[in-house]
Amino acid sequence: MLQPFFEWMQGLRFSAFFLESVWPTPIVQVIHLSTVALFIGSVLVVDLRLLGRGLIDQSISELTRKVQPFLLWSFVVLVLTGIPQMSSTALKQYYSPFFWWKMGMVFFGLIVTFGVRRYIASKEEGYFGLVWPKVIGLTSIALWTSVTIGARLIGLLS
Amino acid sequence: MLRELFEWVEAFPSSLSLRESLNGYVYCLTAHVASMGLVAGLIGFWDMRLAGLALRGIRVTKVQSGLFPLMFVGLGINAITGILMVYAQPMRYYPNFWFWMKMGMLVVVAVNAAYFHMNIEKSVDKWDSDPIAPLQARVAGYVSLAFWFGIIATGRMVAYSGLVPQWWLDLGLGS
Repeated sequence: MLQPFFEWMQGLRFSAFFLESVWPTPIVQVIHLSTVALFIGSVLVVDLRLLGRGLIDQSISELTRKVQPFLLWSFVVLVLTGIPQMSSTALKQYYSPFFWWKMGMVFFGLIVTFGVRRYIASKEEGYFGLVWPKVIGLTSIALWTSVTIGARLIGLLS
Repeated sequence: MLRELFEWVEAFPSSLSLRESLNGYVYCLTAHVASMGLVAGLIGFWDMRLAGLALRGIRVTKVQSGLFPLMFVGLGINAITGILMVYAQPMRYYPNFWFWMKMGMLVVVAVNAAYFHMNIEKSVDKWDSDPIAPLQARVAGYVSLAFWFGIIATGRMVAYSGLVPQWWLDLGLGS
């Protein structure tokens, strides 16, 4: 069903530009990978706190608030730098199981990070007991680790 | 001499078996990238605290004690997988410009971190709670941020072994 969309993407002049030029693709990849580090750091600082580790002197809500701009803007940059990489190799991505794995994990990761985690942070400390914040922290780490692994395997095994 | 060392390692049976294993290198590279995110992400926040760009309301020593344990776990995984990758394909890395740039930048961040811990950090009691650290600490933070970016960038560029300065190709290391 989505194949025509991926074929259309692959056929764009924008995609051809990235595929045929020498420097744009590595430059975009470098920005993407550096932003991955910032994004993972932003996710981990809060996840560690949910696990009762890391910056434990800070409340979860305070830490979430402090890290939120980095989380949000790094995600925006990831999307912007991800688009040319995806469109220039659209059909390779379409046929890669790791691409769909990555997208699925991104979907759930966004729900946990920007939805569930923020909901936890909006309540008073202890409102969800001791276990649930830890479960969410671990889930978030697992989801974003899966995204990273899936992304790397698109290039290596597809 | 360095070339002989790399060639010597490449001839090891264990290097050969890792090089020729179906997915050994793939697993190493994947774990290397994932742990890179862990290390650079947490060090990035530590550096940004020093530079005054993030977590300014949190004591410097608390950021260090809170983030460093997991960061060191990531650093261990990152170092082991990185060494294994070079061990598996030494003669792929030996002539690679970006690989040596990355190694050079790793030396710079190590020296910067050592200088910070042996000198600047000694007075941390005086500025632990300050939202903006002293100039020396901020410079150390910015230097680390810049070179960690460089490490990630050159690490990614290792795959583009042809996109290098002509003078490097003229050295003829790959021949």
